[in-house]
Amino acid sequence: MSEDIKEKRFLTVFKRPSSTEGIWSWITTVDHKKIGIMYGYAAFFFLLLGGLEALILRIQLAKPDNDFLSAAEYNAMFTMHGTTMVFLVIMPLSAAFFNYLLPLQIGARDVAFPRLNALSYWLWIFGGLFLYSTFIFGSAGAPQGGYLAEEIGWLGNAPNGGWFGYQPNASFKYSPGTAMDYWALGLQILGVSSLVSAFNFITTILNMRAKGMRLMRMPVFTWMTFAVAFLLAFSLPIIAIALFFVTFDRQFGTTFFLTEGGGDPVLWQHLFWLFGHPEVYILILPAFGIVSEILPTFSKKPLFGYAAIVFAGFGIAFIGFGVWAHHMFASAISPVAQAGFGLSTMVIAVPTGVKIFNWLGTIWGGKLNLKTPMLFALGFIAMFVIGGLSGVTHSIVPADTQQTDTYYIVAHFHYVLFGGAMFGIFAGLYYWFPKVWGKMYNEKLGQLHFWLMMIGFNLTFGPMHWLGLKGQIRRTWVYAEETNLGFWNMVVTIGVFVIAVSIIIFMINWIYSKRKGPEAPMDPWDARTIEWTIPSPTPVWNFSTPPEIENLDDFWHRKYDEDEEGRPVRKDMANQLLIDLESDGLNPKEHIELPNPSYFPFILASGLPFLGYAIIYRSLALAGLGLLLLLIGGFGWALEPIEEEEIGDVEDG
Amino acid sequence: MGDHGYPHEPTGVETRKLGMWVFLSTEILFFGTLITTYLIFKGRSFDGIKLEEVYDIPFTSVSSFVLLMSSLTMVLAHHAIEKSDQERTSIWLLATALLGAVFLAGQIYEFTEFYHKGFTLTVNIYGSTFYVLTGFHGAHVFIGVILLIILWGVGQRQNGLSLDGGMNLEFIALYWHFVDIVWIVLFTVVYLI
Amino acid sequence: MNQTHKPHPTPKQYVQIAVILGILTAIEVVLYYTESTVGVFTDPLLMILAVSKFVIVVGWFMHLRFENSLVNRFFAGGMILALFLFAIVMLERASAIFFFS
Repeated sequence: MSEDIKEKRFLTVFKRPSSTEGIWSWITTVDHKKIGIMYGYAAFFFLLLGGLEALILRIQLAKPDNDFLSAAEYNAMFTMHGTTMVFLVIMPLSAAFFNYLLPLQIGARDVAFPRLNALSYWLWIFGGLFLYSTFIFGSAGAPQGGYLAEEIGWLGNAPNGGWFGYQPNASFKYSPGTAMDYWALGLQILGVSSLVSAFNFITTILNMRAKGMRLMRMPVFTWMTFAVAFLLAFSLPIIAIALFFVTFDRQFGTTFFLTEGGGDPVLWQHLFWLFGHPEVYILILPAFGIVSEILPTFSKKPLFGYAAIVFAGFGIAFIGFGVWAHHMFASAISPVAQAGFGLSTMVIAVPTGVKIFNWLGTIWGGKLNLKTPMLFALGFIAMFVIGGLSGVTHSIVPADTQQTDTYYIVAHFHYVLFGGAMFGIFAGLYYWFPKVWGKMYNEKLGQLHFWLMMIGFNLTFGPMHWLGLKGQIRRTWVYAEETNLGFWNMVVTIGVFVIAVSIIIFMINWIYSKRKGPEAPMDPWDARTIEWTIPSPTPVWNFSTPPEIENLDDFWHRKYDEDEEGRPVRKDMANQLLIDLESDGLNPKEHIELPNPSYFPFILASGLPFLGYAIIYRSLALAGLGLLLLLIGGFGWALEPIEEEEIGDVEDG
Repeated sequence: MGDHGYPHEPTGVETRKLGMWVFLSTEILFFGTLITTYLIFKGRSFDGIKLEEVYDIPFTSVSSFVLLMSSLTMVLAHHAIEKSDQERTSIWLLATALLGAVFLAGQIYEFTEFYHKGFTLTVNIYGSTFYVLTGFHGAHVFIGVILLIILWGVGQRQNGLSLDGGMNLEFIALYWHFVDIVWIVLFTVVYLI
Repeated sequence: MNQTHKPHPTPKQYVQIAVILGILTAIEVVLYYTESTVGVFTDPLLMILAVSKFVIVVGWFMHLRFENSLVNRFFAGGMILALFLFAIVMLERASAIFFFS
């Protein structure tokens, strides 16, 4: 390159934001740690909403022929519960971990595209708010031949076609009103958010690793993030199109999924589950990663079979693309497809089993430290195995035909998603709490949370196995007295309240410990990976000097040698190492440039909800506003130089 | 990020280029879904007006040729900027945008003709899939034209484009070519086969 | 930029490639009109021509032939996944009609 073209600053009207405190610093941040924290808090808020929806559902089902909720309200509640928990709780909680930890685990300063990262967050929160605005603005009409209009109620004016939106039930004819449009358009916005994240993380993991951080030296959590990013990247475009088809069918008179126009409802199922199945692996792989970090640390042993766990993770992701029609065994798919997908579903149990045996191998013979993160990690293994076993029974097509649409399925996916993913997430929240906040949580409250949650969880979802096999149908707002299902349904409802109490305990622990908890040292767990080599709470610049990696579990090898039997022996200079790392970490010697904050991700993201409202209410004005915001956001972003001089940089010393 | 001591790009591929290729790989799934839907319904028989009754192959062929040539001008623009020939870069950028706009005008004209003949979005499933598929492609072309014009504008304002800047010709070029290859598939699958 | 300079085709070569693309398109159009003579070979030939144009633009204009294999693998991976998934969906829908109608 012969000439050096200087980028010109276009917008001298708006200065580049530079605040480091206050609300503007959060709105304009591109710091992966702040973004991770925002994801975490917002997702937890949605957890409370989704949990409330679950409580309401269970009150209705506590006794037979109950009338706490109307059918319309019940449909809305289970739809919103599922949609919330999948898209607004587990995915963003996982995103919170990816965002906060990924750069730290690979030794980077930030992700590859910091502004794009901020865009992901703002798109997500605006998408979630748009979806929930259905309670304020949305309406669910009375379908022909369905329940009466007067029975809909306030709670019923929300998406009610299930989180999977089966057509034609969720089409305009059978789900009139605007609620299912909020659903389709809301998910569309959320999908873009995750898709953008996926590019960012793939590029970050490939290109932003510190020196010596070879791929096979990366922590398992990083590997799982990588796999999740691929799953997101290749599955989201499919559902994006499917959701466009739904919106076109509902709003613009097309008939993609409507038989009266030559359309095919089963096509929706294909397209939805082509996304939907990879989606469930997207939900569980982060927890696999978290647990793979915690088990070795709290067993004082390296992870058993690191390479096998990494490859199994990718094996699951890859095969996960080939099993989607197992959600459709009872729909009108050809018997050849049923056989093929039954087989592939059985096959996917293999890499999953590999991981479980490797986790067990990690604990075996280790010196177990049963602190809260470890309790949740162990609980994860137990609960996930139960869920996985019921899952394998679904792979047998004739058996599944009995199980489908019963509570047996509900039991399965809650065991893997709550007992699996959520337990894994709670494990991670406790594990990394000291690193993020510099304080230690209260261990006793943590233990209480765990045990109450274990009891409550199993009380809630255990009985659902036999309730389902005895014939209790899901997605139905009442069951008759004669079915004799009342007793165990009451047990289930009690279980949910126990879970609720355990979550309150968690919140108390979090809020109190964050403010008044004892200060946590840099490396409270004697951990293995390099995010523990920097001070707590994490300095804004992450690493003072770029780390140089020499091993898998590099930090551990700097603290420990091995004796002849392979047992760890703490090096004499280990304590001094910790002291040095902390003081170096707090005092960077050289000038560190951080990515500059920006308004434009926020502005750009804000345009999409307006486009959504514009489509629903046929408003050109709203469409114009949405487009305007997109254009301002886009132009501003494109013309903003990547690096400005001397703004927000960290000075020497 | 401008950090000394921080190694960059262990893969040997420039970060933004890598990001763009990952994005384009996902767009394959996006258009793949649209094309698959089209093919599924094309194979079924039903009543009503079909594309074959209204299209004009010579017209669409010329359109397709125009878009193909826009890929040529795009690659010439890229070549020019690698040689730091800002004037040529500017000309070829504009030429690409112009050819893209001509393609879009052709699409609009075509669709208007189809509408007049009764082949509309909602007339039957064939119409639905056709317009949504080609419509999404057209939207992508439109965005591409806008990006090219912005890029040209930035070049004018800065007295030249650099390959290190935020708005980057190399990556917009990749996007543009991608839009072209989607059309290569669409033209064959929708019109010819 | 810290990339080593990759070999580039010259403008003249780019124009030659464009001419080839034009010719392939022309053959496609001719095939469309001579369908009655060419018969059952028309569709496969059209597909081969489309694939050739696709590969040429991706390989030379998008430079993939000269790029690092990582980028190649992404694109190829996406293509293979898409072809595989969508083939299954299309086969399933076609076979379902066969079984259920």
